[in-house]
Amino acid sequence: MSWWRKEKSILYALHPEKIPASGARLTYTFGLGGIAVLAALVTFLTGAALTFYYVPTPEGAYSSIVLIQDVVSFGALLRGLHYWGAQVMVLAVTLHLARVVFTGGYRPPREFNWLIGIALLVITLIWDFTGYVLRWDDGAYWAFLVGTNLLREIPVWGEPIYRAVVGDTQISAAALLRFYGWHIFGLTIVGAFGIIYHLWRLQKDGGISAPLLKGGETRTFVSRDELFFREFVVGAFVIAALVIITLIFPAPIGPAVNLDAGVGDVRAPWIFLWVQNLLRDLPPLWAGILAPLIVLLLMSLLPFFDRRGPGRAIWFARERWKPQVLFAVIALALIILSIREAWR
Amino acid sequence: MSKPFWLFIASLVLLIALSAAVWRETHPAWREWQARYNAQPNVTPVPLEIHALVPTQTGKPELCVTCHVGIEEISAAHPAETFGCVVCHGGDPRALDKDRAHATLRGGRNPSALAVAASSCGQANCHGGYADAEQNHVDRVLKSLQATYAGGIAHVRYAFGAQKSPRAQFGVRAVSDASMVLPPKALRSLAPFPTNPVTGTIDAKMLSCLNGGCHLWTTPNKPSMYSYRSSGCAACHYVYADDGLYRGKDVTIARNEPGHGVAHRLTTAIPFAQCNHCHNRGNYDLRAMTFEWRDDLPPVARPLSAQMPPEGRRLIEYYQPIGEFTNCELELDCVDCHTAQEAMGDGHIYGAKQDAQYVQCQTCHGTPTTKPKTTTIREPNELALRRARLSGHAEFLKVGDRVIETERGELLWSVKQIAPNQFAQIGKVTGKIYNVPLVMGSKCTQDGKTQTSDYCHQCHSVVR
Repeated sequence: MSWWRKEKSILYALHPEKIPASGARLTYTFGLGGIAVLAALVTFLTGAALTFYYVPTPEGAYSSIVLIQDVVSFGALLRGLHYWGAQVMVLAVTLHLARVVFTGGYRPPREFNWLIGIALLVITLIWDFTGYVLRWDDGAYWAFLVGTNLLREIPVWGEPIYRAVVGDTQISAAALLRFYGWHIFGLTIVGAFGIIYHLWRLQKDGGISAPLLKGGETRTFVSRDELFFREFVVGAFVIAALVIITLIFPAPIGPAVNLDAGVGDVRAPWIFLWVQNLLRDLPPLWAGILAPLIVLLLMSLLPFFDRRGPGRAIWFARERWKPQVLFAVIALALIILSIREAWR
Repeated sequence: MSKPFWLFIASLVLLIALSAAVWRETHPAWREWQARYNAQPNVTPVPLEIHALVPTQTGKPELCVTCHVGIEEISAAHPAETFGCVVCHGGDPRALDKDRAHATLRGGRNPSALAVAASSCGQANCHGGYADAEQNHVDRVLKSLQATYAGGIAHVRYAFGAQKSPRAQFGVRAVSDASMVLPPKALRSLAPFPTNPVTGTIDAKMLSCLNGGCHLWTTPNKPSMYSYRSSGCAACHYVYADDGLYRGKDVTIARNEPGHGVAHRLTTAIPFAQCNHCHNRGNYDLRAMTFEWRDDLPPVARPLSAQMPPEGRRLIEYYQPIGEFTNCELELDCVDCHTAQEAMGDGHIYGAKQDAQYVQCQTCHGTPTTKPKTTTIREPNELALRRARLSGHAEFLKVGDRVIETERGELLWSVKQIAPNQFAQIGKVTGKIYNVPLVMGSKCTQDGKTQTSDYCHQCHSVVR
C-alpha cells in the first residue's frame, strides 16, 4: 500500500485540519450539508453516464429513457440513482436550510454564505425542474408548458425572458435541447462553482457555526482523520440507501406525451406542487412568480434581521423565536399546499 | 462502538446493496419467461438475451418478442417480419417492463376491439381508407348487424310492446349511412340504444344484456364453456377453444386461465365452432324476459371437442333440438356458405338478419330451370384468388376457373365449375372437396322464382 498516502489524497486534502467538536456533532448538523454534497456528487456522476444514452429530441427523449430503464445494462440503476440522488439532494438542501434557521447558523460572519446557500437552493430546484422536463412524458411535458408560460406573466419583461429561456415563441424541439443544455452544462457549471465556493467560504468563515464560548470554556476539536472517517461511514450508508430505494422504487416515468389527445395530466414535480396548488386559486403572476420570490426574499433577509444576541448555534434558541416561527409558518404553508395538490 | 466496527458495518451494508443491484440486473423478468419457454417440450431453445424484431415496414426494433418468445405468427397475411407487433397492438416496443410496454396498448389485449379497430385493423392501407368500400372492412363491420344488433333489439322490444313495429330504431351504438342511394331494405341510420332506460322495463333488461355480449362491441360478461370469444374483428377471426384455453407456445399467456384464444392466430377459415361461441347458445324466454342458456350441452368437464370429431359434434353442439338443417349445413362450415358481405355487412345498415342474409341453396345448386350464375377468374390478383391464397387453398383456384357469383355479385371462390354440369366445393376450414349437385336435371319440383331455402328443408332435412 505504498502508493496510498492519505496526505496525498485530494479528498483528504480538501478537508480542514480540524473542526470544532460542537459543529461536528451529528445531532447539530445531522450531516445534512455533507449529504447534500454527496447526493450532488452521485447525481453528477450518474448524470454524466446517462448523457451517453439520453437523446434530447422530442422523438427520441421518451424512448431513450425507456431504453435506459429496460435495455441499457445497469441503466435502471444509473437512472434510479440519478433520480433519487436528486430528490435526496433537494431534501437535504431544504433540511440543511431549516437546520441553519433553527440553529441560527446564518449569524455573522456567515450571512454571505447564507445567501450563497439560498442561491444554491434555487439552482438545485431549477436543476430538478429541468431534469424533470427531460423525461418528456405526459406529466413533464405539460408541466414544462405551464412552467415556462409562467415566465410570460412577468410584467414588461415576461416575453423577453420567456424567449431567452425557451429560445422560441413556443415549446419546441429546440426548447428541449436548451433545457438539456442548461441541465447538464449551464447549471452544472454554476452549481459546481457554487458548491465549491459555499464549502470554501464555510472554512473562511471559521467552519461550522459553534456557540460562543462562555467564561472558562475551551474549544475542543475533531481531527481531519475523525471527520474523514465519519464522512465515509455516513456516505456509505447514504449510497447504500440510495441503491436500495432505487431497487424498490424505480425512477418514475409516465406515459409518453400524446399531443393528439389534448392537454394531459399536468403534474408539477413534487417540489413545485405548492406552486401548482396556488395556481388554482391565485392569478398566475402571484402564484407562479411573486409567491416564490417573496418566500425567497424573506429567507434571504433572515440573517440581516436576526444578527446578534444570544442563541447562535443553539437549536431552537428561545431568544431567536421570531425568525424560527416565520420560517416554520412558511414551511408549514408550503407543505399543506403541496399535500392539498398531491391529494387532488 | 469502535471505528473498525463502523467501517465494517458501513462497508457491509454498501456491499449488500450493490450486490442486490447486480442480482437485479442479472435477473430481469424477461429472462424468466425465456427460461420457461425453453423448458417446454418440442421447442428450440432460445439464447437468454434481448430479442429484437425489426419489421421491414417500420425499420424500428421491437423488443416484444423478448418476453413473448415463440408466440405464433398472427397469420400468413400479416407476417411479423413485415409488420411487427406495434402496428396492430400499439404499446411501447422498446420497453421490457410489462406495465410500461403495455401501458399504451391499443384495445388492451385486443387491438381489434371495435372502439379502436379503426386505428388498428382499419388503419389506412390495411383494412380501411380505400376508395373501394368493399375493402374497408372495419367501416362495414361497424354498420353490420353483428355490431349494431339492430334486429335483436328491435324484435325483443317489439315482442314486449316497447315499440309498435319490428322496424329497427336502435343500434348498440349510433350509426348512419351516408350513401347517396340505399339498397332495398337498408336503413339510413340507427339511434344509440338508450343508456339510461327506466328501471324494470325491457330496455333496462336489454341494456344489461347488451353490456355483456350478443354483439361485437363486447365479450360475454360471464363467459363459460362454448362461449369464450374475443370482441371486434377477433370475435370471429381469432379462434377460441370450447374451454377458452390457450394452447400455443407463448409462456406469458396463462395456460390454465380460460378466456384466451387457442393460439395467437387470425384466420379467415373460421370453423363452425367459433360461430358457435355466440350463435345458438340459448333462447329468449318471453315469460321471464331473460335469455336462457341451453341446458342440453355436455358438461364443462367433458367438452365435446375432446370426445368426437366435428361432424358428430355439430348435431349436438350447434343445432338446437328444434332446428331443421340439411346435409351441407351439417358437413360444411358456416363460412362455406355465408359470405363476407353477409357476415361483415355490405356497408349498409340493416334492421334484421333476413334483410342482410341473401345466400340461398339455389346460389350454388341452381333451380330446376337454371344453373347457378358463374364468373370466370381473369386476373391473378382478383379478390377471389387472393382469398383462396389467404385461406391456404391457393391450389384450388387459378386464372380461367369459373366460380359461383352470388346475386349481389360476390364471388364464392370456394365453389368452382369443373365440368359443364358439375361443381366442386372446397371446405374453407377442412380443405375437403365436395361435389355440389345441381337441381337442374333432378327430380326436384321446386319453383326457383318463388321458393327460398326454407322450402328445400322440407325434403332435404337431415333426420336426427
